[in-house]
Parts: sequence; structure tokens; C-alpha cells
Amino acid sequence: MATFVTVSLKLLEGFGTTFFIFLITLLLAIPLGLPIALCSMSRFQPLRWLSRGFVWIIRGTPLMLQVIIVFYGPDLIGMPTSLPRMSAVVVAFVINYAAYFSEIYRGGIESIPKGQYEAGQVLGLRKGQIFFRITFLQVIKRIIPPMSNEIITLVKDTSLARIIAVRELIMEASTFIKTQALLWPLFYSGAFYLLFCGLLTILFNRLEKRLDYIKV
Amino acid sequence: MKKILALILATLMLALSVACAAPAAATVAEATEAPAAEATEAPAAEATEAPAADDDWSYIQSNGKLVIGITEYAPMNYYDESGKLIGFDTEFAEAACAKLGLTPEFVVIDWDTKELELSSKKIDCIWNGLTVTEERKANMDFTASYLKNQQVVVVLSSDAANYTDAASFVGKTVVAEAGSAGAAAIAANMADADFVEVQAQSDALLEVKTGKAAAAVIDLTMANAMTGEGTDYSDLTILPIEMPGEEYAIGFRVGSTATAQLNDIITAFGTDGTFATLAEKYELSDLLIK
Repeated sequence: MATFVTVSLKLLEGFGTTFFIFLITLLLAIPLGLPIALCSMSRFQPLRWLSRGFVWIIRGTPLMLQVIIVFYGPDLIGMPTSLPRMSAVVVAFVINYAAYFSEIYRGGIESIPKGQYEAGQVLGLRKGQIFFRITFLQVIKRIIPPMSNEIITLVKDTSLARIIAVRELIMEASTFIKTQALLWPLFYSGAFYLLFCGLLTILFNRLEKRLDYIKV
Repeated sequence: MKKILALILATLMLALSVACAAPAAATVAEATEAPAAEATEAPAAEATEAPAADDDWSYIQSNGKLVIGITEYAPMNYYDESGKLIGFDTEFAEAACAKLGLTPEFVVIDWDTKELELSSKKIDCIWNGLTVTEERKANMDFTASYLKNQQVVVVLSSDAANYTDAASFVGKTVVAEAGSAGAAAIAANMADADFVEVQAQSDALLEVKTGKAAAAVIDLTMANAMTGEGTDYSDLTILPIEMPGEEYAIGFRVGSTATAQLNDIITAFGTDGTFATLAEKYELSDLLIK
């Protein structure tokens, strides 16, 4: 029983780190995705290519590799940094998730029927007005299911932080194998993820219901 | 209007690329150039900054601390019930740093990226029951060895009677950590066994416990700490089969001048009884190098 309490406390500590990575990544990546999405849809070709190239690189390489590159890369090519481990994780995660979010935003924006833009133009609205007053809210409503999918993936992706020894949940749990030869904490850690993702699912369902007032 | 918007977005994108392009561009560049860059960069850097940067010992001294890369494992580096970092290597490092006038700073690393930690100067040395192997000499310089790393064969207790010597594993699955001393011992002694490489020594024990493999070849120090009463591996047994062993040493950056400093300490600790006391405390006396 005493072991169970010790393990639970340690795992809770690890979950704190996991939650921190999760929260900061969301707070920074959600707004950062929008300019990337707008650039990907720009009619100015070089900008569009730059943005889409960026998304291609970020989505085309493993997040684990990106974490390693952010943390060790600069030092290895002779630019010593004193970037703390946690900051390296956050930088890599924000860049990665902003790229994924930008594609979800793009899909959402492009799914709005063209007729609505044209109607807006007929009414004499400017482009910005059309975007913020007509398109934007509908986009939010439409992207909630794919966003919740991605956000729940983020909860579990935080476990990649252990590659540079950031003590998140899985690392804390597997440390028990090496120091006390206990296997069950690793499986027990699953309960933390499950519970947290369950809460998020409920939250997103409520959000979807609240936004149900717009029928398209 | 459109042009202005495009301009604003372009600046934003530029700002973004400044923030992101470093890692993003590095993604592509590194993937292709990393080995080449490392190979050419190192001598070049030494050539230009020869007097200062070349001397790793001066670098460490100027920091006033020795950053030691460890992973938590008993009996080398682990936490006791009060949360204090203890272990043979922990106390050894603390005593050595006291002699050298440095503050030891223990950093928990991921074992898979230990070479990266070392060459990017995130840590100064790996001091964590590190086995001396030929492969590792390409990426680090070793001090003199201070402990023997005896390899043992671990099997399910219920299965132990079936295995009397290394030859009884012909056609059976045996596991060891990739690149470890155990892997080398299997290649030398159990060539006809079906050898599967796993990520960590602790994974090797899980393979045996779950019946995926007949035996694991791991370090004696680890096997002693991980099997036995109160562990999840109490159903495993160490077989009395002789396996060729290797040795533990401290790993520094390639060409580091700090190894000479530590070699003096290792010699001194051997004669003044420091090692003998520590080894007794952590039940490693049989493994001391005399």
C-alpha cells in the first residue's frame, strides 16, 4: 500500500509535467496555426510555397526527431545554447502542432461555400468583414471535431519528451522498472492518460453542443 | 488591400521562419549532413580554437562543475527512500569531484541519446555503469576501468533446470540490450541461439518474464538488484553459467584531457581503500578491479 502511494505521487508529479507540456503547446500552437493557414491559402505564390513547404517538413518528419534536433542540433553545429530541456520540448511541440492545426484551419476555411463570400461582396462587405463576421464562427464550429482529435493525440505525444530526459509521466513510470524492478507503474500510468482524455472528450462534446445553434 | 495583406502575411511568415526555420531547416540539413558535419566540424573547431577549446579539462574547470550524465538504476545511481541520490557511482563521483575541486551535477539523461548529450556538451561525462566497448570508443574516451562488468544469464526459475550450460540455448530465443556487453557475450558463447536485441537491459528481463525469450544476458550488478524478493522479477533466476565479462569506466568526450585527471583519482581510490569501502556498501566487492 505504501508503495502504491509512493508510485501514485511520483506518477502525479510526472503527470504535472505532461500537463504543462500539453497546456503550453495548446496555448501557443492554436494561435500560431492561423497565420500559417492563411499563408498556405495566400494568392501570393512564394508565400504559399514557403508555408506549404514548412508544413511538409514538419508533418513529414517524426516529432521525436524534431525534439532531438531542437535540443542538440544547435550545439552540434557549433552554436552552443543553454536552452533548458523543457523549453526545447515546448519549441518543438508548438512548431509541430501549429503545422497540423494550420491544415485543419485551412480545411475549415475552404469548406465554407463560395456563395457566402459572393453574397457578402454583393452586400458591400470588405474581405476582412466577410472573414470575421461570416466565415470565422462557422469555421470554429466545423473544426472542433478534427481539433479535438488532434488535441487528444497531443496528450499522448507528450510522452516523446522523455527522449531528452524530460521527466514526464511515462519516464517516471518506467524509472520504477530500473530502480525497483516494478512493472505495474508503467501500466498504471495508462489510467492517468485515459482519465485526462476522458475529461477532454466530455469537454469537447459540450462545446460542440453549445455551438449547435448554427445550422448550415 | 490584397497586396498589403500579402505583405503583412509575408512579414509574419518571415518572423515565423526566423523562429522556426532554424529547427525546420535543420531537419532537412541535419538528416543528410549530420554525420559529415560532425566528422569535419570537430577537427576544424580544434584547429582554429586550439589553445582554449581543445582542452576539455580547462573547459570543465572554468565551469567549476562536472556535469555527469546518469540514468537511474540500482546499484549505480538511484534514489533512496528519503529522495537522496545514492549508489556506487554517485558516491564515487562525489568523492572524486571533492578531490578535483569541482561540484558534481547529476543530470538524468535518456540512455539512447547519451552520445548526443556528450558531444553537444549538455553533459561532460557518462558515469553510470558504462561498459567499455570498441564501438563506443568512436564516440567517447574512456578512463581506466574501475569495476568488472560480469555478464550473467537470467531465466525463469521454473525453467532453470532445463539449462545447464551455454550450449543448452541452441535454437532458443535469448535477448540482450543492443550493443551491450551482454550482446557481445551472446555472440561469443551462444552463437547458435536465436538472438534478439532489445532497447534496454530492463526490457530484456521483461521478455524473459513474459516468456517471449528463454534467457536474458545482462550485467550481474543489475541482475542482482532486479531479481529477488519484493521485485516484479522475483520469478527469475540467475544461472551459474560463466560468461565473458567486460569492464566499467567513465566516458568523456573524444580527446578530452579530463580522462587523465580521473585516471589519477581511480588509481588513488584503489590504493586508499575508497573503492573497497564503497564496493562493500553496495555489495560489489567481487567485481572490484585489483
